Amino acid sequence: MFTEELKTFRRLGFRHVLLQVLNFASVIASGLMIWKGLGLVTNTESPIVVVLSGSMEPAFYRGDLLFLTNPPHERYHTGDITVYRIPGADIPIVHRVMETHDVSSPIKISGLALKQPGEQLLLTKGDNNHIDDIDLYQGLDWLERKHIVGKVRGFLPYVGYVTIAMNDFPQLKYALLGVLGLLALIQRE
Amino acid sequence: MHSLFTRINNVSALLSSCVMSLVIAITLASLLQEAIFPPQVDGQISMRATMVYQAKAYRQKRKQEMGFLNFNMTADLSPLFTWNTKQLFVSLEAEYENIKGVNNTIVLWDRIVRRPEDAKVNVVGARNKYAFKEVGGKGFGKGVAGNASYALKYNLMPYMGVLRYGEVTRLSNVPFEVREEL
Repeated sequence: MFTEELKTFRRLGFRHVLLQVLNFASVIASGLMIWKGLGLVTNTESPIVVVLSGSMEPAFYRGDLLFLTNPPHERYHTGDITVYRIPGADIPIVHRVMETHDVSSPIKISGLALKQPGEQLLLTKGDNNHIDDIDLYQGLDWLERKHIVGKVRGFLPYVGYVTIAMNDFPQLKYALLGVLGLLALIQRE
Repeated sequence: MHSLFTRINNVSALLSSCVMSLVIAITLASLLQEAIFPPQVDGQISMRATMVYQAKAYRQKRKQEMGFLNFNMTADLSPLFTWNTKQLFVSLEAEYENIKGVNNTIVLWDRIVRRPEDAKVNVVGARNKYAFKEVGGKGFGKGVAGNASYALKYNLMPYMGVLRYGEVTRLSNVPFEVREEL
């Protein structure tokens, strides 16, 4: 079945295989560089996220692609849609900011360390949920800047479904990676 | 070489770059249209005062000061519906500074508008959908200005592209009226 491929493999020789491996590695490396560079520019750890739940319907559905930024000197506003990650929770959540409380002089709020001017307390809620997110905060009363991954700026429907499919069926991911790797090795140009 | 693989490769590369440029064109056209023809929206909010009673909030065991609204509001948001508008998130927000120097903005009422037919907001005698309470538990009405302003804002979500925000109208200097009993 693979005799033809094996034949070309022998004909091209070891150096060619090495070259293809190098090509493959450079493709992966440049992809990673673009991702990390985008993260630096937008100041978030993940500048592009995929919506995984229906809690923001009808604004965002499962599989929608969101573009985030997180400028360090810009305060969050009510109505902004933020992506946040609570320590201890593994999945980041995309929800809308419903309350902001901007501290302008040092203040002690029960359950929190002394808050300095410029700090902000936030409360979020999913458009499709009836109540706010306090139950999701794992014991916290408020969100703060350190929990926020980014603010949603732009939106592209459906595209993220590929990653959802890969998460739901891991075999698909390995099959795709395997096929791509094999093609990169065998390809003749 | 014109093997099946290279053909598939070329077709999919062409297809993805076409889709990409279409997405960029749609996003830019939508932004350009908004810059050239800025949507004109207007509205009006009216209310007398924010009533403050001792009440129990959801999840809370003890009573605390909570604000209660009774407001009328009209707005026409239909100019915001263009070919690239998926939905509007319309919200009424209270803004006030309290005695401890905390600037608060709280969404008290919201509505999601998905069709231009529903874009005329007309609410009469409405109450706040969400709890209106202070960060520390009390202090309403003792704030620096002693009053709040209410703003009607929108968040426009496109079918594709950049999210936009705006303010429709604002009612300033609404006093707090603190009552001991309900």
